[in-house]
Amino acid sequence: MPRIGVFVCQCGNNIAATVDTKKVAEDMAKVPGVVYTCDYKFMCSSPGQEMLKQAIKEQRLDGIIVSACSPHMHEKTFRKASEAAGINPYRCEVTNIREQCSWVHHDQTKRVGTIKSNDLTRMTIERLKKNSPLTRIKIPVKKKALVIGGGIAGIQAALDIAEGGREVILVEKEPSIGGNMARLSETFPTMDCSQCILTPKMVEAELHENIKLYTYSEVEKVDGYIGNFTVQIRRKSKYVDEDRCTGCGECIEKCPFKTDSQFELGLTKRKVIYTPFPQSVPNVPVIDAPNCPKIQKDKCGACAIVCGPKCIDFKMEDKIVTEEFGAIVVATGYQLMPNERFDEYGYGRIKDVINGMQFERLASSSGPTGGEIRRPSDGKVPKSIVFIQCVGSRDEKKGVSYCSKVCCMYTAKHTMLYSHKVHGGQSYVFYMDIRSGGKRYEEFTRKAIEKDNAMYLRGRVSRVYEKDGKVMVQGADTLSGTQVEIEADMVVLATAIVSRDGADTLAQRLGIGYDKYKFYNEYHPKLKPVETVTAGIYLAGTCMGPMDIPESVAQGSAAASKVLALFSSDEMAREPITSVVNKVTCNACWDCVTACPYSAIERDTIKNRQGEVVRWVAKVNDGVCQGCGVCVAACRSKSIDLKGYTDEQVFAAINAF
Amino acid sequence: MSGHEEQSGTTGGYEPKIMAFVCNWCTYAGADLAGTSRMEYRPNVRIIKLPCTGRIDPLFIIKAFENGADGVLVSGCHPGDCHYTTGNYHARRRWIGFKHLMEFTGIDMRRLHFSWVSASEAIKWVDLINNVTDEIKKLGPFMEYRGLKDAPPQAAE
Amino acid sequence: MTDKDMEKTLREKARELLTSGEVKVVIGWGWNRARTKTTPIFITNPDETDRLIFNPLCVNNLSVYLTRKFKDIQALGRPAIVAKGCDIKNIVVLITEAQVKRQDVFIIGMVCEGMVYRQELWKGELTPEIMPTKCHNCDVRNPHVADFVIGGRSAFTPPEAPVGMVFEKIKALDGQAPSERWNFWINEFSRCIKCYACRQVCSLCFCERCITEKNMPQWIETSAHQRGNLSWNLTRAMHLVGRCTFCGECERACPVNIPLNLLNQKMIGVVKDAFDFRSGYDEKTHPPMIVFSPDDKENFIK
Repeated sequence: MPRIGVFVCQCGNNIAATVDTKKVAEDMAKVPGVVYTCDYKFMCSSPGQEMLKQAIKEQRLDGIIVSACSPHMHEKTFRKASEAAGINPYRCEVTNIREQCSWVHHDQTKRVGTIKSNDLTRMTIERLKKNSPLTRIKIPVKKKALVIGGGIAGIQAALDIAEGGREVILVEKEPSIGGNMARLSETFPTMDCSQCILTPKMVEAELHENIKLYTYSEVEKVDGYIGNFTVQIRRKSKYVDEDRCTGCGECIEKCPFKTDSQFELGLTKRKVIYTPFPQSVPNVPVIDAPNCPKIQKDKCGACAIVCGPKCIDFKMEDKIVTEEFGAIVVATGYQLMPNERFDEYGYGRIKDVINGMQFERLASSSGPTGGEIRRPSDGKVPKSIVFIQCVGSRDEKKGVSYCSKVCCMYTAKHTMLYSHKVHGGQSYVFYMDIRSGGKRYEEFTRKAIEKDNAMYLRGRVSRVYEKDGKVMVQGADTLSGTQVEIEADMVVLATAIVSRDGADTLAQRLGIGYDKYKFYNEYHPKLKPVETVTAGIYLAGTCMGPMDIPESVAQGSAAASKVLALFSSDEMAREPITSVVNKVTCNACWDCVTACPYSAIERDTIKNRQGEVVRWVAKVNDGVCQGCGVCVAACRSKSIDLKGYTDEQVFAAINAF
Repeated sequence: MSGHEEQSGTTGGYEPKIMAFVCNWCTYAGADLAGTSRMEYRPNVRIIKLPCTGRIDPLFIIKAFENGADGVLVSGCHPGDCHYTTGNYHARRRWIGFKHLMEFTGIDMRRLHFSWVSASEAIKWVDLINNVTDEIKKLGPFMEYRGLKDAPPQAAE
Repeated sequence: MTDKDMEKTLREKARELLTSGEVKVVIGWGWNRARTKTTPIFITNPDETDRLIFNPLCVNNLSVYLTRKFKDIQALGRPAIVAKGCDIKNIVVLITEAQVKRQDVFIIGMVCEGMVYRQELWKGELTPEIMPTKCHNCDVRNPHVADFVIGGRSAFTPPEAPVGMVFEKIKALDGQAPSERWNFWINEFSRCIKCYACRQVCSLCFCERCITEKNMPQWIETSAHQRGNLSWNLTRAMHLVGRCTFCGECERACPVNIPLNLLNQKMIGVVKDAFDFRSGYDEKTHPPMIVFSPDDKENFIK
């Protein structure tokens, strides 16, 4: 016979006001197997916990019921206390008689609340009788991290993990790390130059003894689970031997072919052998194979001729490397919504309609114009310029429903840069609302309006068209209630931040969730902002949704701290709520394998002494299983059960109903 | 053993017994929120918490009716919100099959309810419990099912 | 080709397979001693293949002998199975559910023009009245998956809308009030004696340990009262959702004539409507109850 103790909490008056806790304790004493009951003012307090521990020892209890608040509040507390007194923590159960009873049934006679508390407690007692002691699962941890994405968030995460003394491999799709931030001119609200603050970090990452950069590389396949991931990474052929290249740039100089520069967003051309930008890290060029006549048609080869260290190899092929990691940080960043969707603004049709990122390049001293604001069509300095905000953002019909968060701020910055660079120029901003929440952000936008003379017009633009070398902008000024038409030299669209192409494919490889916009889902939007539902995989930066640089950096550091905490011990312990297969009755139909959302179930064999396979059975990988129980309900022969929520436990509770 | 004393008391007359199978992450938390918000709802429901609706075997529902439930409610995260990413999609598939089977067997579908209640939908939870309770109250005890155990098997024809 | 010709080819093929050693056992139909009914036979000796027969009495679905329930047959070695199209549907499900590998079984597909529902009804001639509903709507009279097909091609095309007693009865039940359906089923199930013949004869009930044999917890009440009868029949129906091929063996085997075909065919219709899935045609598609679509219809979930 079990020796169960039932502790009924009054929670001050929170429970006691509508539940006769004394009567519940008395009634429960009559349930078979219950040897001790009591009620107490605050079970979660130190004296309450002490009382529980003492009762366990004195009464030699082997199971604990605490009827109190929601298990989401204090289950851990009471399990810990039970453990401290020598009971397996999973032999302690909490009955929810506060949130789901005393607080929702206001009968002052206490009749209703007492009956319900009795029922709920009795169901928990019967369930507890079927609780097996469980031990937390120990998983060995491989102390090496993978960071996917070499933008500012990824760099920050990699640096912090490396500083913590752990190895990191930083994988970047492009030939250089730096991400979108490398494109920016100045940064709000301090106006320091983006390159100046980013480049040192890029170099630091390159030189750090604990960081290995895999640029021009992509994650192909992810297997395993927290502490033990096996990842295949495709290292795309650069056609340049990274180890021998000195970065002299001779090859780029001599290359006779040019094509559009993706880094400069088509504002200028680059060579076919190239580094994306002068401060690229690593400073190793790559050959753009589809555009290279040597690789395509065996014509030219000038780069190889001039290369001193002879590190160009036109026959180089992609390499797949397999690495093992204990944790993964995903920091794959964002892209801008293709403006072609917004025909009314003339993007792609009218040369002098550009997007915000292109304006960043025009304003950047390392950009195609050397930092002078010149319009793309004829290189003239625009005397008047119109900024249109919320292009695609907050527009569920044509774009996305969310706010892209940074556009208000960077547009204000653009007007400032413009007024500093083009004296006497006039800027106009069409906006819906000015959103400048953030430290010193509101002051920043005010300054753009008040000091730098930006004309803010609240309203939407209906049409943009060309007329005599000008870009005509028609729109509404809702504050004055008039229609306005502005004769501009250039128009800049603050287009929506969207997830990267292929974000869904990567998420599927990693087994993490994403929303309808293909932004990655955090585990909990408030309390677990950098975790994912897949243990051991963390998120940082704009792959989760629009955010600014400080937020991205903070998230990179946050993800790194999670990784370092995981790496702080050789083994990690986790809740033992996992499925377990009864090998004797398993039919090997693999329905569980198909149904499992985590690919946590494998096909295993049972062999006889001669080593011959006698039967196939399912096997749950404890490291991967998250304990959802989908497999249990799918199994017709009832050969899988979920520890902590076994059929027996659930049945006992139903039977006590 | 069976608990759930008759709750005549204040309201007088019959009080139905309703069993709810809910997931830990959405509906259970939503029901908690109803508590923290001090909302009030009918006291007839007894919740059994499971990690995910995907864990809910249709047999749980049959077992609940066998144990004298007058109504059964199954609830979890909205599609797309599952803590385990797809557990509720699996659950929905099973429910589609099971619901039709129960319907064809002649179970009054006013006694078996399926619902999505998120962690923030305390109001939805409260309305759901109130509506389900009132509806089943009108139907009366599920005597058809309760009576089955005592009915002797018929001799084969 | 007449039944006699088909028989001749079948015996020759079986002999050839056994002699060459390609298969170790041929699972087929033979006569009972009185030569009034057919019975499953298992031929391992090439000299005995003349015992194999084929005629409208070969109604049994032999695919059950491919399952793990019959370990002694599995122990004989690679089998060849004589199967009608409807039987092959079950074999397809067994392949999908990894109970048998396609290459591990030799399927001798028999072109079929219909069977008798019950062997007792046989008066020497196959008339529509003695054929089961499945034969009237059969779209696999020419076997759809087989290693060797015997018989001339059947020209039969099933009616667009399924016909037969089962469908009429389902329609009638659907039109009734829930309480009437309840009374109907409780009355039918009340005869159940839990002999589990329905399970034994079903090739998709291949569990070595059936849920009804599991105690701790006891899922199905085994004592013979109506509540236990209901849970057994509901559970079995639920376990067959999306899998049952409507071979009809369970109803044929039921000693107390519970109309299990109604239940199973109803659920086949539900699965067809809800998931556009038909069991037994494609071994590569998972049965619908273990997969999902984000777009599944859910108008009943509030």
